[in-house]
Amino acid sequence: MKTIFLVDDSATILLSISNILAKAGYATEKAASGEEAMRKFQAGVKADLLITDLNMPGMNGIELIKQVRKLPAYKFMPILFLTTESQQSRKLEAKAAGASGWIVKPATADELLNTIKLVLR
Amino acid sequence: MDELTSVFIQEGREQLQAMEAGLLELEQRPDDHDNINGIFRAAHTIKGASGVIECHFIESFMHKVENVLDRLRNGEIQVSGELAGLLLRCCDHLGILMDVLAAGIAEPAAEVSLAGDALQGELAAHTSDATATAGGSVVEAEADVEASGGGVVNTDSWHISVRFGPHMLRGGMDPLSFLRFLASLGEVLAMETIPDAMPAAAEMDPESCYLGFEIRLQTRSSKADIERVFDFCRDDCELRILPPNSKLAEYVKLIRELPEDDMRLGEMLVRCGALTQSELDEGLLSQQQVRLPADAVAPPQPLGEILVEHKVVQKEVVDAAVSRQAQVHEKKAVEARLIRVQADKLDQLIDLVGELVIAGASANLLAQRSGQGELVESTSILSRLVENIRDSALQLRMVQIGETFTRFNRVVRDVAKELGKEIDLVISGAETELDKSVVEKIGDPLMHLVRNSMDHGIEPGDVREARGKPRRGRVELNAYHDSGSIVIEVVDDGAGLPREKILRKAIDKGLVQPNQTLSDQEIINLIWEPGFSTAEQVTNLSGRGVGMDVVRRNIQGLRGSCEVASVEGSGTTFTIRLPLTLAIIDGFLVGVGRAAYVIPLDMVIECIELKGNSAERDFLNLRGEVLPFVRLREMFEVDGERPARENVVVVQYAGQKAGIVVDQLLGEFQTVIKPLSSIFRHLRGIGGSTILGSGEVALILDVQTLVQRNARREERDMNTPAMLRSTSQN
Repeated sequence: MKTIFLVDDSATILLSISNILAKAGYATEKAASGEEAMRKFQAGVKADLLITDLNMPGMNGIELIKQVRKLPAYKFMPILFLTTESQQSRKLEAKAAGASGWIVKPATADELLNTIKLVLR
Repeated sequence: MDELTSVFIQEGREQLQAMEAGLLELEQRPDDHDNINGIFRAAHTIKGASGVIECHFIESFMHKVENVLDRLRNGEIQVSGELAGLLLRCCDHLGILMDVLAAGIAEPAAEVSLAGDALQGELAAHTSDATATAGGSVVEAEADVEASGGGVVNTDSWHISVRFGPHMLRGGMDPLSFLRFLASLGEVLAMETIPDAMPAAAEMDPESCYLGFEIRLQTRSSKADIERVFDFCRDDCELRILPPNSKLAEYVKLIRELPEDDMRLGEMLVRCGALTQSELDEGLLSQQQVRLPADAVAPPQPLGEILVEHKVVQKEVVDAAVSRQAQVHEKKAVEARLIRVQADKLDQLIDLVGELVIAGASANLLAQRSGQGELVESTSILSRLVENIRDSALQLRMVQIGETFTRFNRVVRDVAKELGKEIDLVISGAETELDKSVVEKIGDPLMHLVRNSMDHGIEPGDVREARGKPRRGRVELNAYHDSGSIVIEVVDDGAGLPREKILRKAIDKGLVQPNQTLSDQEIINLIWEPGFSTAEQVTNLSGRGVGMDVVRRNIQGLRGSCEVASVEGSGTTFTIRLPLTLAIIDGFLVGVGRAAYVIPLDMVIECIELKGNSAERDFLNLRGEVLPFVRLREMFEVDGERPARENVVVVQYAGQKAGIVVDQLLGEFQTVIKPLSSIFRHLRGIGGSTILGSGEVALILDVQTLVQRNARREERDMNTPAMLRSTSQN
């Protein structure tokens, strides 16, 4: 079973995405902040894909992506970030930081799962 | 109401008419794709425009309609009588919504909204997934048949050429996952790995990606869908997507069917799906880049060429788009020759021309009195020009009656369905022109006559067959010009007017005496009497108590007349006769005593001298024909002695000849009709007034009522002694 790591400071979003993923047969790991996520990655948590929000208090999504990419174990892990249509410049910034792709909010379950299917090995 | 909204309402109503016309054709020819596209376009335009003016209740309603039409256009659902009916009802609803908007009300009333919701519910049944899968599978099955028949299965695939960028892997992306995802769109028929970029082993960076792929993919997805797969690596990979051959033909077809907007080449290609937006952006960028270093005066390389060079689109598709562009430009040029003018500006012009005509007549008169040859000549040239201007100005107000007629296609269809009869409408003379104000007012009377013909005239199919007539009934609408008037006929091949029944009814209603003998025509004419209706049952179509007398009054209000002819068993013909224009006429000026009268010149046939020996009778012998005449002097009770020589003006109206006896003939005269004010409305025999060159007022004779009034009076004179006789015997 593939494990997907979710990072978002909103509990609602964490819950709704993890519900969709659970129904589709994925295991999930969750973190409510960049710092919490980093601690788990440094501890060597199993993850086949990281999905993170960009706007978070403390360590934001871009910083998180940069840090995760520095860890050898997660160098080639696909990383998706959650964004809104208008944030074109954020998209490029996140791509440069090492993200693989993005999910435009609000996304339907199908869009979410399709995008995951596209990047998951 | 602001200008934008009024423009929208006008445009919207035009599009609505186009939609209705298209939908009516739809049932006859369900396979006519041009027609279906036309309907879709009309709906789409209304939706788009309503969005622009931010009229959301129209926009959201039309959105639902458009969805259904889109599926129809794509062959996902089939045309059916029920669907066409539903869409027509949607048209009606849209008309109501337009009225709401036109009235300046922010939201439609609750019952209108409810009706709209009900329609949307019905529409949803045609867009729901249940029918989608059913429809989709049908199309797919058809496509398979086509493919196996045409033997194009193998070559008919997309060609995707992709070279991944070196940073792909480090971004957490795997070429394999893209390829796998691609396979989920359709079937990958062939794939070749292109390792050309791979450096020697020593220089190779194991974390970089050097691979490219050539892929043949068979899928029903669009180009944009395929491109979306590569969204995440689009920035650092080279991607070419070439459509299959069958798609090419489809693009070319789509381009030809694009709405006639002024579109740029790139826009057209994106719109039809041959090009994706990002391919276009890239093309435009390189067009600019090539241009900048070179001298700015040189024209940039055409976008089409660049796109073909980039191998993002085929030459055939570009050519089709270019020729479509030229076509649209041409069409726009034609449209530019038409100008929309506000109706009241035209009315103002006609008024001024009227004043000009009067002033011209006065100048003419003065010139003639002065006796100066040169002055007379120059004023006569002037008056000829005025005459030309008058004709052109009147021509501006003339519109074809066709639009009014075509509305009846819908009426006949709906009413026939409601009545359970099969009825065809045949239209002729739709190009006949008449004054705009007449066209506007003729719709209601015509509607009444057509409904009447369908309801009372045309028999049910079985009855018709039993009588040896074709099962389908026929209603004709004809229009043509006839000696200065326009004639509109409503003809049906139904049962004809039942004389016995009409007579019985008239006696019941006390319109005629039981012992009175009437000719067939007189009996038929009884239908025009107020409050007359023979329909045994009041249906919701005609016979609503609004009788034929209202029709007649409306038409008479337009200075027209209507007649009916009927042969029992084989049909009825209503003939409406209307003046060509309401504003200016050529008149014939006559004098009685000191007053002047004008007779419309179109009706004058000849003038003869009244011989002394017929002076005491009311008719004369015109080359072997009996010609009844009216003495204006008596009719208008003009004081004074009859002159020694009187003249008869012979007039013809609706095939009937009559004479009008006057003192003097004063000749032709251009006349501007000034309506009489309402105090004079009850006057019979006078249709209006005009101002002569001398500044005097002349009355315009209403020949029709004059002649009729005379005939009626004669009848009375003849009947009275007969009745007196019968009473004296009893």
